Amino acid sequence: MKFFIDDLPVLFPYPRIYPEQYAYMCDLKKALDVGGHCVLEMPSGTGKTVSLLSLIVAYQQHKPEHRKLIYCSRTMSEIEKALAELKELMKFRSQQLGYTEDFRALGLTSRKNLCLNPSVKREKSGAVVDARCRSLTAGFVKEKKERGEDVELCIYHENLDLLEPHNLVPPGVFTLDGLLKYGEEHKQCPYFSARRMMPFCNVIIYSYHYLLDPKIAERVSKEFSKDSIIVFDEAHNIDNVCIESLSIDITEDSLRKATRGANNLERKITDMKSSDAEKLQNEYTKLVEGLREAEQSREEEQFISNPVLPDDLLKEAVPGNIRRAEHFVGFLKRFIEYLKTRMKVTHTISETPPSFLTHVKDLTYIERKPLRFCAERLTSLVRTLELINIEDYQPLQEVATFATLVATYDKGFQLILEPFESEAATVPNPILHFTCLDAAIAIRPVFDRFRSVIITSGTLSPLEMYPKMLGFNAVLQESYSMTLARRSFLPMIVTRGSDQAQISSSFQIRNDPGVVRNYGNIVLDFSRVTPDGVVVFFPSYLYMESIISMWQGMGILDSIWNYKLILVETPDAQESSLALETYRTACCNGRGAILFCVARGKVSEGIDFDHHYGRAVLCIGVPFQYTESRILKARLEFLRENYRIRENDFLSFDAMRHAAQCLGRVLRGKDDYGVMVLADRRFQKKRTQLPKWISQAMLDSETNLSTDMAVSTAKNFLRTMAQPFKTRDQEGISTWSLEDLERHREKQMLEDERVRREAVANGHAMDGITHGGAVTAADEFDDEIDEDLMMLDAQ
Amino acid sequence: MAPPRASMAHRGDEDEVCPVCKSSRYLNPDMEFLINPECYHKMCESCVDRIFSSGPANCPVAGCHKTLRKNRFRKQTFEDINVEREVDIRRRVMQILNRREEEFDSKRAYDDFLEQREEIIANLVYGTDVAKTEANLQQYASSNVRSIRANQALEEKEATYFQEQQTQEQELARMRRQAAKMEYENERREVLAGREDVLTRLASGRPADAAAIARQGQKVLLKKSSARRSEEERIRQKQAALRNSDAKKSGQPAARAAGQDDGGFIKGLKRIKTPEPEKPYDPFGGLVPGKRDYFTQSESYPSSYLEPIRQNAQIQAGGFDLREYYSRTLLEAFAGLGCFIDEEVSERDSAAPLSVGQPVSTTGQS
Repeated sequence: MKFFIDDLPVLFPYPRIYPEQYAYMCDLKKALDVGGHCVLEMPSGTGKTVSLLSLIVAYQQHKPEHRKLIYCSRTMSEIEKALAELKELMKFRSQQLGYTEDFRALGLTSRKNLCLNPSVKREKSGAVVDARCRSLTAGFVKEKKERGEDVELCIYHENLDLLEPHNLVPPGVFTLDGLLKYGEEHKQCPYFSARRMMPFCNVIIYSYHYLLDPKIAERVSKEFSKDSIIVFDEAHNIDNVCIESLSIDITEDSLRKATRGANNLERKITDMKSSDAEKLQNEYTKLVEGLREAEQSREEEQFISNPVLPDDLLKEAVPGNIRRAEHFVGFLKRFIEYLKTRMKVTHTISETPPSFLTHVKDLTYIERKPLRFCAERLTSLVRTLELINIEDYQPLQEVATFATLVATYDKGFQLILEPFESEAATVPNPILHFTCLDAAIAIRPVFDRFRSVIITSGTLSPLEMYPKMLGFNAVLQESYSMTLARRSFLPMIVTRGSDQAQISSSFQIRNDPGVVRNYGNIVLDFSRVTPDGVVVFFPSYLYMESIISMWQGMGILDSIWNYKLILVETPDAQESSLALETYRTACCNGRGAILFCVARGKVSEGIDFDHHYGRAVLCIGVPFQYTESRILKARLEFLRENYRIRENDFLSFDAMRHAAQCLGRVLRGKDDYGVMVLADRRFQKKRTQLPKWISQAMLDSETNLSTDMAVSTAKNFLRTMAQPFKTRDQEGISTWSLEDLERHREKQMLEDERVRREAVANGHAMDGITHGGAVTAADEFDDEIDEDLMMLDAQ
Repeated sequence: MAPPRASMAHRGDEDEVCPVCKSSRYLNPDMEFLINPECYHKMCESCVDRIFSSGPANCPVAGCHKTLRKNRFRKQTFEDINVEREVDIRRRVMQILNRREEEFDSKRAYDDFLEQREEIIANLVYGTDVAKTEANLQQYASSNVRSIRANQALEEKEATYFQEQQTQEQELARMRRQAAKMEYENERREVLAGREDVLTRLASGRPADAAAIARQGQKVLLKKSSARRSEEERIRQKQAALRNSDAKKSGQPAARAAGQDDGGFIKGLKRIKTPEPEKPYDPFGGLVPGKRDYFTQSESYPSSYLEPIRQNAQIQAGGFDLREYYSRTLLEAFAGLGCFIDEEVSERDSAAPLSVGQPVSTTGQS
């Protein structure tokens, strides 16, 4: 259907629209007009992606400046889904408009997923594919070929050079699959086609990392213009992604491999000195002059790029003591040896980068500045040496990246050296964690560079946490509730067992037989009353294992077995996917099954249990993080000192966002229904931290239930849900046709008019105040909106 | 702060054998290996005791004829013996060639120096041109004793300063941590106390007041928490201010005079400048107050119009002085001579972004 938001014509590819979708689009448009970042929370399964895409595409096509859309999602399947959605949308648009717009949209994923070369495609690991691909496509390989040497080239990549550089693929939307097919037909490399076509695309869909990880972002996302629209979908974990992209773990094994890499480099240098000394000399003179190899670093097949963010990059020459290749290799070796000596301690050490640097200097006379240039110098050396089997140098690269990071950032990072894997271990297996504590570091350039960044997900509550943690000002923060024609999900908090004893997964009582039995009874009762699939989430693998074995001893598992098939998620991905498959089969053939999984595991994120795959979800205990971890402790302290977020606030926020994710798994649309049970005494207080759409649906009477009450409520609910329900009943309430939409707009317009009139009538007394407000608001968008809201409240 | 290094764990090297006495770790788990920086040959502690206790002796390793002393034996820091040796050499060279970046004309010169130093170290490590390099080094050391000392002192000062700052920071962090904990505790206690208070009042009060009491309790709690927040904020600000002032007080150690003649060994060093003696203070900054560029004012100018005024005591009685009038008129007449507006305008336009804010001084006077 087609409708207008203000003066913007929006083509929506479905005949019906949900009210919250409409509200979402209106707010989105407002945010785009104003320019600024926003945080939007929209219930899962209400068509977030399609509303986002249809609004932004409409916006792009309507406005003369054609702002580019960069849509970031988490997993490959989500990217593919979004692309398919976009394709449908564009088809609909061209049908409606009667002509095809000049529009390009591409998705980008790793080489492993996009490679067509039969010999490279065979490889299993992504790193190997990358390295093999580079060895076939790098610039110097081609030069060699032209010189007549016998080297192998990738024919798919070579064919790209025969095409027009700005028209490698025809206009239109290509899903990843479609791109692969097109590449196969025309014998051209899909990966490089996508990479090179990026500047010409209207919409780009790829994973977070291409924008957040400075190692990749520098290469892939450097050229986007300032007015691009950035969308982070499923962004509830965005702070962790930011942190991971700047954190490095170094083990003894990787150091050993790095030493080997350094020795190889040394050998290569001596070889080259005897055969082709001129090249090394060239590199040397370039470094002396302080020339950045501007044109070369643009090449796509760069080995490793600087992990430091663009605004921190030094515009200086490489320091003199690592200018010569042999000096640099000696330097690397010394640094690796130093790290090895650090690994030999027997107790945990936690220190800041400055103190680490002083110690390095005391022991090995390595100063800060050359360390800072480590990554860049290594890149330059590798390029000069024309190394082909780059995957061997991966650990060395890691060490160089670490060196650069540790010498660049004083604040927001911590070095933690743990000699033992766990408390009980006696065999040392030291790991040097270099952890980023500040999520804002990685994402700051994105906020600084682009005018509109939109962060959206199904579960972002409490909304004000994200701007705080990521260090930005949001012009708009909104949480949408879900309009429902009938109450299609039943969230409940169970605080007591049937014996009225309180249940909780808190550390003191989690192994009490009474608590364990009560938890077992909840699972048992729900497996009895719920049809089809039941999903149970535990806070951790450790707890899950212990509680399951205790249930086994109590005979609870045997009783559950009478009603449902029991399946368990394990840390092993293959085993888990097998369990999941069996679970689905069991649900499909009507017997039903129960899946035990972990709130921070693979299942809790990204796997949907729609319809009969999940009729009830149970969250056993509050999924807190493991608070004894050093890394978490350091981060909590950092958050407290710098962002004034208290430890408990953060822990509880983090636990609740995972719990909300788990609950959201069962409800994937408006015709879906399910029971959501939060089984812990402590949830009662944390109710406010649930997303608005869940907490609104929760009745006060259902926040403090015992097991038997919860079960009878659930039984009633499921019985109601089993009544036939026609889609017609939803119309006008939870789905709008065009007429409903028009009616709503009219109503709103009248409302606005009334408000305005009242404001005028309220008169001049308010005038002075508004005036003052407007003056201060002029320099801060944020305030303006607040001011408006306040005005509305006042009336 | 250097973490203790003493507690090195021995692992994965059960079959390690002392190259001198051939005893292995399997038999002697406490075996420690020592090296001597003369030749870097590794041997176990008991061998060192056995061979060198009675004074200097030759290295027991076949083919090595170095004479070693017991007191120079030490534990190995790095696993790789080459790195160990390189670091020893580096230590020595760095102590001599310890020029600092401030002492050089340009970054480029400093980088060249760094490379040169690296070259020297490499020469010593790989044994190329040892004699010549050593000679150079010795010569430099003897002719630059003072600057070497000064730089060493400086480095030490920086190190201690850094150390101090670190401990201070740690102390502050610890205090902050404690404060946060206390604050949390207090808050919890207050909430509990408040609840209790409300309960007792509810118990003693009349049933009609119940709602009012509960509401009041809620309000008190809220007020308290907001008051605490603002208090907290103030303390925090104070702390921040304190930290800043600290940082300023003990700022960077002052720069000092650079070294003396180094015999041309290191290039690109800054010339030492003696500061010029200060000139006497001139309040007008070079301007002479009464001076006029284009004219000298005389006592009177003939004018039939002004003459009566001169004579008229009535006018002059009020303090009117014709000289003031002359001076002003002449100044106005000559104002703007010697400034060429066209030129200045074109100049300003060409350098537009820089001189936008500066008014053109002479145009306003005519």
